[in-house]
Amino acid sequence: MIKLTGIKKSFGKQEVLKGIDLTVEQGDVVAILGPSGSGKTTLLRCINYLERPNDGEVAIHQFKVDCKRASKQDIHTLRQKTAMVFQNYNLFKHKTALENVMEGLVIVQKLPKQKARELAVQALEKVGLGNKLNEYPSRLSGGQQQRVGIARALALNPEIILFDEPTSALDPELVGEVLAVIRKIAGEGITMIIVTHEMAFARDVASHVVFMDDGVVVEEGPPHQLFGTPKEERTRQFLKRSIQEWSYSI
Amino acid sequence: MKLDPGFIWTSFVALLSALPMTLFITVVSVGVGFVIGSIIALLRIYKIPVLQHIAAFYVTFIRGTPMLMHLFLIYFGLPALIDAISGAFGWTFTSASIPILVFVLISFSITAGAYLSEVIRSGILAVDKGQLEAAYAIGMKTPQALWRIVLPQAFAVSLPNLSNSLIGMLHGSSLAFTVTAVEIFAKANIVATTNWKYFEAFIAAALLYWGITVLIEKGVSILEKRINVYNRGGVA
Repeated sequence: MIKLTGIKKSFGKQEVLKGIDLTVEQGDVVAILGPSGSGKTTLLRCINYLERPNDGEVAIHQFKVDCKRASKQDIHTLRQKTAMVFQNYNLFKHKTALENVMEGLVIVQKLPKQKARELAVQALEKVGLGNKLNEYPSRLSGGQQQRVGIARALALNPEIILFDEPTSALDPELVGEVLAVIRKIAGEGITMIIVTHEMAFARDVASHVVFMDDGVVVEEGPPHQLFGTPKEERTRQFLKRSIQEWSYSI
Repeated sequence: MKLDPGFIWTSFVALLSALPMTLFITVVSVGVGFVIGSIIALLRIYKIPVLQHIAAFYVTFIRGTPMLMHLFLIYFGLPALIDAISGAFGWTFTSASIPILVFVLISFSITAGAYLSEVIRSGILAVDKGQLEAAYAIGMKTPQALWRIVLPQAFAVSLPNLSNSLIGMLHGSSLAFTVTAVEIFAKANIVATTNWKYFEAFIAAALLYWGITVLIEKGVSILEKRINVYNRGGVA
């Protein structure tokens, strides 16, 4: 179980997160929706301390970190329990697909090379890239790069995978292949939080949907409730606008 | 003007005996300078309190003064300092027992360090911040992330500038002749004065410097091709 309590984050005078509480149960697929600038990505990055929260508590199972006095070791431990998939993939440019996935297994988890290689190949096969093991990222399409990114996160066998707008940088025709992979691993019971603008995907795949705006959680609940009968006016407005956009895009 | 083409060859052969000294000075000062430069660059990028200001001062002072000045400051200043310290503690050790070459190497390393720190700093800053974040996200610590992810990419970006600095130091090493270290330039001077054939001797020296420079350029270009394999785009 992942539990965030009272997470606050400011950049200078701008308060981006105004005290966020969020609980993610084992095996949950949580989708975080919200307009740009609502703080969803910042919240995600606070979980693995790519942003340092100013206040609050991050807990992964029994391991709790008080953000006001997080030590280097605490942060390191949090990062070992989590994995992240980035909007811009952020694959290690000087390493092949296989090396990208093996890196964390060998250097962080200290697995023997042979074992790491096996796990990495498995993960890459799972995302459908068993035939691209030795390609450098510069020779892969955006969709393929993002699938390597997912394999890299998956292979670490983390408590939770954090997806930061995983399809936002992709050409429309490549979005599908990445979403299909995420859908597949979601079905395997891996806990994940996905920040996304893909409404249909959130509705179909998420077990729990969170709507954020202006640094607070406006509303959360199971997808049928949030999409079907949203309680808050702000949520309704956002959904209405987003759903209109869909119909245009088709 | 009388030119003795045959003597150019004779000088060239004579100069080869000084080649190892030139290469030694160049390689050591660039090598030590690379280590100094990396440390300085990291101090400044990570804005380490106090040390970053010392580092910034070092870089502006050294880059703001001629290399020959560094050599003279070290060559005349350091022995006086060593003797003063030695005297104060009543040691029998004096600076006279230190080979001149040591002062040359110290001075040129300091020079190279300042220039290389800027090359390395710009190389590190050219690496996308996302690379470091990805390294952190898979659980790496800062030294691992720097060593395995950031620095290899920074090195690849910096190669053209590093080769520039290496060539600069190769040519700069000729200044060592002023303190009687016998490298190529000093040797050319010796050959010239003993035979009264200045022009020929210095043509030979020029050809030798040029030859080494061409070799460095070729070597770096091969290295660049090998190291940048990962940048050769395909589909994306």
